[in-house]
Amino acid sequence: MSALPHSGKATTPRAVARVERARLARPNGWWGMAIFVATEATLFGTILGTYFYLRFNNLHWPPPGVPEPKLTLPLVLTAILVSTSVPVQLSVSAAARGQLPRARAALLFAAVLQAGYLGMQLHLFVHDVHEFPPSGSAYSSIYFTMLGAHHLHVFVGILLTLWILIRTASGLTSYRMNGLRATAFYWHFVNVLALCVLGTQLSPLA
Amino acid sequence: MATTVTEPGLRRVERLERIWVEPRGLLGWLTTTDHKRIGLLYFFTTLAFFGAGGIEALLMRTQLSQPEEKVLSPETYNQLMTMHGVTMIFLFVIPMAIGAFGNYLVPLMIGARDMAFPRLNALSFWLFLASGLFMYASVFMHAAPNAGWFDYVPLALKPYSPGRNIDFYALGLIFNGISSTAAALNFIVTIFKLRAPGMSMNRMPLFCFAMLAVSLSLIFALPSLTIDLVFLELQRNLGFHFFDVPHGGDPLLWQHLFWLFGHPEVYIIILPAFGIATSIIPTFSKRKMIAFPLVALAELLVAFIGFGVWAHHMFATGLPTITLVFFAAASMMVVIPSTIQVFAWTVTVALGRPEFRAPLMFIGGFIVFFVLGGLSGIMFAAIPFDQATTDTYFVVAHFHFIIFGAAVFPILGGMFYWFPKVTGRLYHEGAAKFSFWLAFVGTALTFFPMHVVGLLGMTRRVYTYPSSLGWDAYNLSETIGAFILTAGLLLIFANLAYSRFRGAPAGPDPFFGGTLEWTTTSPPPPYNFPVIPTVKSAYPNWDVEDRRADAARLERGELVFDEGHETPASTVVDAVPDEIVEMPSESPWPLAVAVCTGLLFVMLLTRHYAVAGVFAGLALLAVAAWHAKEPLET
Amino acid sequence: MRTRGLAVGPEFLQWFGLFGAALTWTVQLVVGFGVTIARCGPANAVLGVDVKAWEVALMAAGIALVLLSEGAALSVLWETRNVDESGPPPEGRRRFFAVAASIGNLFFLVIIVLSGTGAVVHQPCHPA
Repeated sequence: MSALPHSGKATTPRAVARVERARLARPNGWWGMAIFVATEATLFGTILGTYFYLRFNNLHWPPPGVPEPKLTLPLVLTAILVSTSVPVQLSVSAAARGQLPRARAALLFAAVLQAGYLGMQLHLFVHDVHEFPPSGSAYSSIYFTMLGAHHLHVFVGILLTLWILIRTASGLTSYRMNGLRATAFYWHFVNVLALCVLGTQLSPLA
Repeated sequence: MATTVTEPGLRRVERLERIWVEPRGLLGWLTTTDHKRIGLLYFFTTLAFFGAGGIEALLMRTQLSQPEEKVLSPETYNQLMTMHGVTMIFLFVIPMAIGAFGNYLVPLMIGARDMAFPRLNALSFWLFLASGLFMYASVFMHAAPNAGWFDYVPLALKPYSPGRNIDFYALGLIFNGISSTAAALNFIVTIFKLRAPGMSMNRMPLFCFAMLAVSLSLIFALPSLTIDLVFLELQRNLGFHFFDVPHGGDPLLWQHLFWLFGHPEVYIIILPAFGIATSIIPTFSKRKMIAFPLVALAELLVAFIGFGVWAHHMFATGLPTITLVFFAAASMMVVIPSTIQVFAWTVTVALGRPEFRAPLMFIGGFIVFFVLGGLSGIMFAAIPFDQATTDTYFVVAHFHFIIFGAAVFPILGGMFYWFPKVTGRLYHEGAAKFSFWLAFVGTALTFFPMHVVGLLGMTRRVYTYPSSLGWDAYNLSETIGAFILTAGLLLIFANLAYSRFRGAPAGPDPFFGGTLEWTTTSPPPPYNFPVIPTVKSAYPNWDVEDRRADAARLERGELVFDEGHETPASTVVDAVPDEIVEMPSESPWPLAVAVCTGLLFVMLLTRHYAVAGVFAGLALLAVAAWHAKEPLET
Repeated sequence: MRTRGLAVGPEFLQWFGLFGAALTWTVQLVVGFGVTIARCGPANAVLGVDVKAWEVALMAAGIALVLLSEGAALSVLWETRNVDESGPPPEGRRRFFAVAASIGNLFFLVIIVLSGTGAVVHQPCHPA
């Protein structure tokens, strides 16, 4: 059993790359994030389910006096967000090969796009809240709850990315590599979620 | 396993001892990450809540013992009734089963040194304790939740519940849910990744299959409750509209989301009991469980199908027949996996050489109550019958037979069964058997008459009843039964408390159990196993040759992992050894995160949202500090 | 392993046999339930849901997929007929999963047939 990779002892990019090559299964930290994603995905499932349940409960959707959802800007913003899955995944594969500077650059690039996305979305959110407040109808209540929950998840993702960037400033260990893998998985989840939320948000236009 | 340990072996054991031992005293307990200590913390905390829930029950039963009693006001009764349900479900039976039993036993049964995320484990406990204190603060403020444990709208909305009672309920359960989610996540990753070499999934103990089913259910069920409670708080406090018709909402939305959680919740309650039963039966029948794959299947299948039956709690709400048929169909089928299990349990005992010591007697009581409770349960799958009996005491009878008779009896039996492992001492067998009979008679006398009085029309949640309806004698016997049951429970705890200090020494394996916890000392050392076991069957402690081989490995230093705070991780399905993982040791951060989170929820309750944001930020900083200390930097 | 000209590995058959029927039922329940809510809610005036067509289609697709899943489980059961279910992986583990899956899938078949039939036979939207 001494031939087993010892992830606890891998504290340089080369050692981490060796552990990554030798390991058969995904690390515990990845599985932890996968289960967390499962529960958050279910949470959003119930939110989206509620959206359609309330939709079926209402003849006019949106109700009279509430504007139809905007199409172009949400579509473009979501496309930008979803595209960050590429640099995030590139960051993981670079780190797994021991190429830390490349990994950090890719992650930083993604983080800038993600922060820009969030800033724009929050601006739209605040504007919409003034136009059709949640206290007006079930439509606006579920609209803002759904979007608010999504933006909160993007915010948490940005915090995770910042944390990994901070920690990897002083080098790469297996612990941080596992954190990077987990963060990347989280982002892929958030991006798929963004598509589902967008689809739901735009569904009255269909 | 009696072995002579030689010099090199002793040195390795000493090294493991030094690496894994935690500080003694209060600081050690506050910063613990040892799954066994955390299990004990859960055990004693949940017992305290059991006592609270029991007192609530006895007060209610006293009020109901006679018609038109004036022991409690209707308002107090509503709070007791609600808190009894919330306490027993969220603060006793589930945390006892998974936090105490699951935490203590799962790493031992799979041959690991700890859970996959030891600090997260500690966090789960501290969050649980904080959520319980949060909810009970409401009792001391005379503002306890009072709309029933399922808190239906519109009663729970601001116009009908203007006080803080419902906010305590909603925020308290969201808080509690974070703890349970973290625990479930930990169990799944532990069961997937930390099983001993050779313990492929077909060789995993049935208790672990039950814990896996419970954990997966919690992961997929809790979000529904969480979002329901979030919607409720948003509507109550920020004027959102989810549940009121004039603004396009629907009161039934609350019920759908609640029961989408609530039904899997009842399988979450019963599955650990199945796990305990399937551990005790093979040991005391001295043979393997028959139809092992079918029992494992049944545990997972009942949890899975249980996600598709939720609207059987809504058969009387006026939903269309074409909607309800989905749930009637699944509700009829969900009983069959449990039938498979009952068959397997009884045939295993019949084909074995059963020794009816206290643990097996409690399992016998469990089987009786489970069959009876299951029969009344399946009756509800028939929509017309359900519509006649919903919200009557017939339902109360059914779920108490299941929750008390079938979920708690194995917990009591399991307390006796694993008492020697945890304490190193034997309990008093005679007193244990007598306490079983008291508990059995008490349970039967308390809950059986409820079937009859329910069919006679007594509705649930009433604080009193008139004398003219013929319900008096039943209610009086139920109250008498409750006190007999209490006597039995007190005798159980007296026995365990006394035996903790005066019981005979137990040794590692007093009952000749088949699973891995019986291979190590009683109580286990902090590192659980000096040598990580190699497993070739589902009952590894009965494979004597393999256990001798383990002992031989100690000398050679194979599978000892004594170079640090180490445990091996393996592949998910086939448990092929994969890497050596460094485990964290004691940490103050889980407690810190829990304190910040508790204060966050208090601020949400009192609607100081800005301050709540500050505490959320502090909690995040504590999480950052936690992760800044990587396990190797011990 | 060749099955009707398709080369699929025993691992795939094992997993499809274990999870296929369960996931099929999940979809049939969620969509089937959703369709009845849509049909019987106020929005049906706008949506015009043909609930019988939906439920028949769901039931037919459901039965087909469950039978395929069961076929996969049974094929693994047959391949491992001489293996002990507590034996070493991968064969022992495959047998174990196949035994469980081949029984479990039958439950989903019955539930889909019962619920689909019920949703089609009853007149829409009469309260139970």
